[in-house]
Order: sequence, then structure tokens, then C-alpha cells
Amino acid sequence: MNEDYLLNKRILLVDDEQELLDMVLSIFIEYGFQNVKTAKSVKEAMEEAEKSRPELAILDVMLPDGSGFDLMEQLKKGGEYPILFLTACGEDNDKFKGFGLGADDYIIKPFLPKELLFRVMAILRRSYKDDNPRVYLHDSQIDFSRAEVIKNEEHIPLTAKEHDLLSALYRNAGRIVTIDALCEAAWGNNPFGYENSLMAHIRRIREKIEKNPSHPVSLVTVKGLGYKLIVEGK
Amino acid sequence: MKSIPKLIRRFVGILTLSIILFVILNVAFFAIVFVRNTSTFSPWDMADNAAAALQLTDDGYSISDDVMVELKEQNAWAILINNDTRQVVWQTDNLPNNVPMQYTLSDIAELTRGYVDGYPTFTGKAENGLLVLGYPKDRFWKHTRASWDYNFIENLPKNTIIILVINTVLIFLIYVAANSKLLRSIRPITNGIQDLSSGSPVCIKENGMLFELAEKINKTSEILQKQAEQLRKKETARANWIAGVSHDVRTPLSMIMGYAGQLENSKNLSEVERKKAAVIVKQSNRMKDLINDLNLASKLEYDMQPLTMKQENAISIIRQVIVDFMNMNIDDKFPIEWKTADILSACYINADKDLLKRAISNLIQNSINHNENGCVIYASVDDDNNACKICIEDSGIGASDEQIDRLNNTPHYMICDTNTTEQRHGLGLLIVKQIIKGHNGEIIIDHSEYGGFKVVLTIPK
Repeated sequence: MNEDYLLNKRILLVDDEQELLDMVLSIFIEYGFQNVKTAKSVKEAMEEAEKSRPELAILDVMLPDGSGFDLMEQLKKGGEYPILFLTACGEDNDKFKGFGLGADDYIIKPFLPKELLFRVMAILRRSYKDDNPRVYLHDSQIDFSRAEVIKNEEHIPLTAKEHDLLSALYRNAGRIVTIDALCEAAWGNNPFGYENSLMAHIRRIREKIEKNPSHPVSLVTVKGLGYKLIVEGK
Repeated sequence: MKSIPKLIRRFVGILTLSIILFVILNVAFFAIVFVRNTSTFSPWDMADNAAAALQLTDDGYSISDDVMVELKEQNAWAILINNDTRQVVWQTDNLPNNVPMQYTLSDIAELTRGYVDGYPTFTGKAENGLLVLGYPKDRFWKHTRASWDYNFIENLPKNTIIILVINTVLIFLIYVAANSKLLRSIRPITNGIQDLSSGSPVCIKENGMLFELAEKINKTSEILQKQAEQLRKKETARANWIAGVSHDVRTPLSMIMGYAGQLENSKNLSEVERKKAAVIVKQSNRMKDLINDLNLASKLEYDMQPLTMKQENAISIIRQVIVDFMNMNIDDKFPIEWKTADILSACYINADKDLLKRAISNLIQNSINHNENGCVIYASVDDDNNACKICIEDSGIGASDEQIDRLNNTPHYMICDTNTTEQRHGLGLLIVKQIIKGHNGEIIIDHSEYGGFKVVLTIPK
């Protein structure tokens, strides 16, 4: 699936250290982001937010004129968009506080560029759906907005559970998703005892998306652990 | 406190035992005294003997010599009162002067019951008369009006028992009253000592019988609290210091990792330069792990990382850790195999999910760190009745018996107060040990049947 549209999203980066701002900026620009703005304080961040209407904000917790948590609350008043923290405060309490206030992610320094980009892309993907939301697999395509699979020009509808499972797999496309996480995605917080149901659903999904469901190439099993959705071009 | 009822039982036991002992001793004593004083000699018998020994001969009355000797020995005198004349018809030589020689019937009734002129007298029936035996005034005491109500004698055994019972009950009541006061003043002290041993602050009212002890306990508690406070301050300072340093190192390290990460993937650089950048990334990552580990280890060591225990499915936790590694592991040098039985889909334990994840990932990371050339990592979970057995092993280079022994038994330098130059195994394993200790579990390090290193964690359900 083409994700280029995500690279046009307006990003606001707030950290009091210029060198770190430069470094993160260079990571984003190298990856292809085109609208990244920076700010070094709460005041600057508020002004920049007014001006550029960001679609994603990355905040440090400790800023010279206030805390990132307060800044997040102020930013949220100006509009609903994902906010993540990038901070040296690795304490669990800080983390819980961040998530408790509604942060979308919490990255602790130091971090690898790959990790930062992966998490930012995951949040953007979740928050901003593509206008053309077709996911291309080896033998078929998934249209999540219509909840259907297109295989050999044929439109096959997905059930609600199949849709939930495929969404969870797609959000982590190319990565293994554990059996437990899949059960949770489909059946909620108490996923114990659904493994057999899960296997049945996976089999039905394969019948819809695979050319040869007995030898799957898009939805592969990782024995005992989970499943992986392989998306073309990813 | 369990010892107080025990103490009371003991006291009551001793009391009962001593009462019983006293009763037996007293009865025995009185019996001995009574038997000794009565069986050997009775003045009434003596009077009967003397009466029998008195013979009426032609010369008048005479008494056998041996009875006479006996009477003399006892300082006793005797008279014989004639039945008809009620006059004294015979007497011993030592008869006191004041003793009358003529008696009326009432005189005789009187002397039989009691005394003649203050001398205790005893009578015996002789031929034609009454023999009266008189003893010195301080020899006998006579009960002159001995008579008891019949009911009194009839009820005597019953009354004795009642009195005995009442006495015993009274003694117990007095004892309990006296001791309960003591126990009342002991209770706060025992509670205080109990609190002392649990480390909580103690403040006992300094009154009652044992106020001095209370005072001392309060003072001890104060000292202990002060010491604990100081220790806590010191430990907090140390943990905070480590947390502070690791915080400050994070931002500079981010920049090193960030730029090195970019250079590693830069298409403008040569292969050799990119490899150098990769080394910087790898080593920075090690530093990152180190500061994370150092921080967590110090917090666990100084109890600054409270464990939030919940019922968790160990299998799902471990599965997640393994999948995280597999999703991260780009170059397939460290494949992970899941060796848990298919039928086992849940093994619930009481655990802190994040910390348990940390322990498992430390073990997997250890296998990766110590096997440069790659190895297969095997993970399995086994439900062992009351515990969950988690096993992480690898097919790598493993360790010698001696190394394994050291890993199992020597403390890490961070928690060892003597030797800091040797025994430096990684912080990773120390954290695993600390976390498993926090879960009341067990950790065993061993050789793996796959050829490498094996760690088995046993966590109670």
C-alpha cells in the first residue's frame, strides 16, 4: 500500500535541546517527511501550533517553561491529533502519567531512528486513513472501509471478527502478532480460551485471501506464537 | 502473641499443683501429729488401768507397784470415791491439799466432765467406787461441754467439700485479679516488641507496673526508626543518583545513536564506513541497556520499584517477549523456537507483567550477547502443579561447570559488600534474580541439552 500521503502530514517537534531537534529533524527529512516544524519551549510550541495546525506532535516532558504533560493538554484544546512523548524520563510513573493523559505513545531516549520512525508511522497510519484504503496482498486486496476482500475480481465480504483480526494484523504488517494479542483484538480483555476459535477464523480468512489456503503466503503461521500478515511492498 | 495464653496456662497449672500439694502435705502432717499424740497414751485408759489395778484387801485398798510407778512418772494423783458414802476411801501420797475428800453427785458429774480444783481429772470404775485420776494442771485440756448438733455432724463431709471448693475458687479469683493487672500491663509491651520486630514504630504508654520496660522499648524503637530512616535516606540517595546519571546520559546517547543510525543506513557512505557506524549503534545500544539495567537493578535492590502483582498468563507474557525479539531480529542469526506443549495455552501466576517480561528478555538478550556467531534459542513453559516453570536455553557456546557454579552462587558486585574485582557477571542476570526473588520464585542456571546455556525460572502460582 502506498503510504506517501502520510509523509505530507504536518509534524510539530518540541524539545529544549537544539542539537536533538536537529537530529530528529534530519531523521524525518531523510525518511521523506516534508512538513516538520520545531519548537524549544511551551510558548514557542503554542505559537507554532496556532500557525501551522500540526497533525502529529512529538513532545519532550521537561521543557524550560513548563512540562510536556501540560503542553499536551493545551495542544489538545486546539484540536484532536495524536501526540507522543520523546523523553529521557524513563520512570514508569512518568510513562503511566503520559498514557493516562491520553498520549498515543511514549518513547524513552535513547532510541534508534528506525524505532522512532516505525512508531510515528504506526500512529499516523492509525490516525489518518488513506483515501484509497486498499491493502495489497500477494493474491488479493483488502478494502477495510468496505470490509471486503477482492480476489480474482470477486468481492468477498469479511465478517466483523475477520475484519478485527485482519486490522490487527495489518496494523503490525510484516511483524508477528501473538495469539493472545489477536484474541484480545477480536474478543476483548479476557481472551483466554479462544485459541480454537481463532484458528477457525484464520482458516476462513485464508480461504478468502489466499490462492492456496493450505500453503498460505500472505497470512503465515509462526508455530506456537502467532501470525504474520505479509503486505506487498512493505 | 501466642506465648501469653501459654504463660497463663503455665501459671494456673503451677497454682493448681501447689494447692493440691499443700492440701496433701497438711493432711499428712495432721494425721501424723494426731496419730503420734493419741495412739500411745490416753488418760482415760490410764484411769481404767489404775481402777483395775486397785485391790481391796484386809488392810484396805492397795494398788500394784508398777501402776504406782507409772502414776508417779506422770506426776498424777489418784483417789477412790466410795459408791455409798461418796467419801474418799483411798488416795495416793501426792494428793494436793486442796482436793476435797467428800463429794456430792453433782461434784462427781462435774469432775467426770472436767476438773477438780483446776486439775484435769479422768475416771475409771473400780470395785465399790470410782477411781479419779488427777493430772497436773498444764498436762491436759478438756472439752467440758462436748456436744454437736446431729445435722452438723451429718453434713460435715459435704460442708467440708463445699468450703474447700469455695476456698479454691476464692484463691483463683484473687490470683486472676492480681495477675490480670500484670497481664494488662504486659500486653502493650508484648505488642510493642512484636511491632519492633516487624520494624514499625512503637509508642507504648509509659505507665502501669512495667513502665520502665515500656520506656526502654519506646527508646529502642526510636533508635531503630532513626537508623532505618538514615539507611533509607542513604539508599534513596544512591538510587536517585543512579537514576539521575542515567537520565542525564540519555539525551547525549540519543544523539549518538540517532546520527550513527542514520549513517549506518546512508547510501552516500562506503561499506566500511557504514560498518563503523553500525558498531557505534551497537555499542550505544549496549550503553543504553546498561544504564537501563543499572537503574532498574538499583531500584529493585533498594525496594524503590514496587511490584504490581496480578493474575497473569505466563504463556502469553513469554510469547509476547519472544515475538518482540523475532520482530526485531533482522538478520536471522538468533532464531527462537517455541517449545511449549500445544495443549498448554494458559499458566496463570501472580506476577508483575512488565518486570517478568524484562526478566525473560534479559535472558534472551544474554543468549544473544554471549553468542557472537549466532545460536538457536529455545523457550518453553511448563505447568508444574503449584508452579510455572519457564525455561530459556540456547545451542550456543554455553559455560563451564565452574562458571555456572559461580553464576548460581556468587553475589553480584552491586549487592556484594566485600569483593568488587572478581565475579562480574552482567547486570542482566542480577535483575533476573531480583525480579524472580520478588515473585518468590527460584532461578537455576545449568547446561542445556541443546549444548549451550540454560536458565529455569520457577514461579509459584
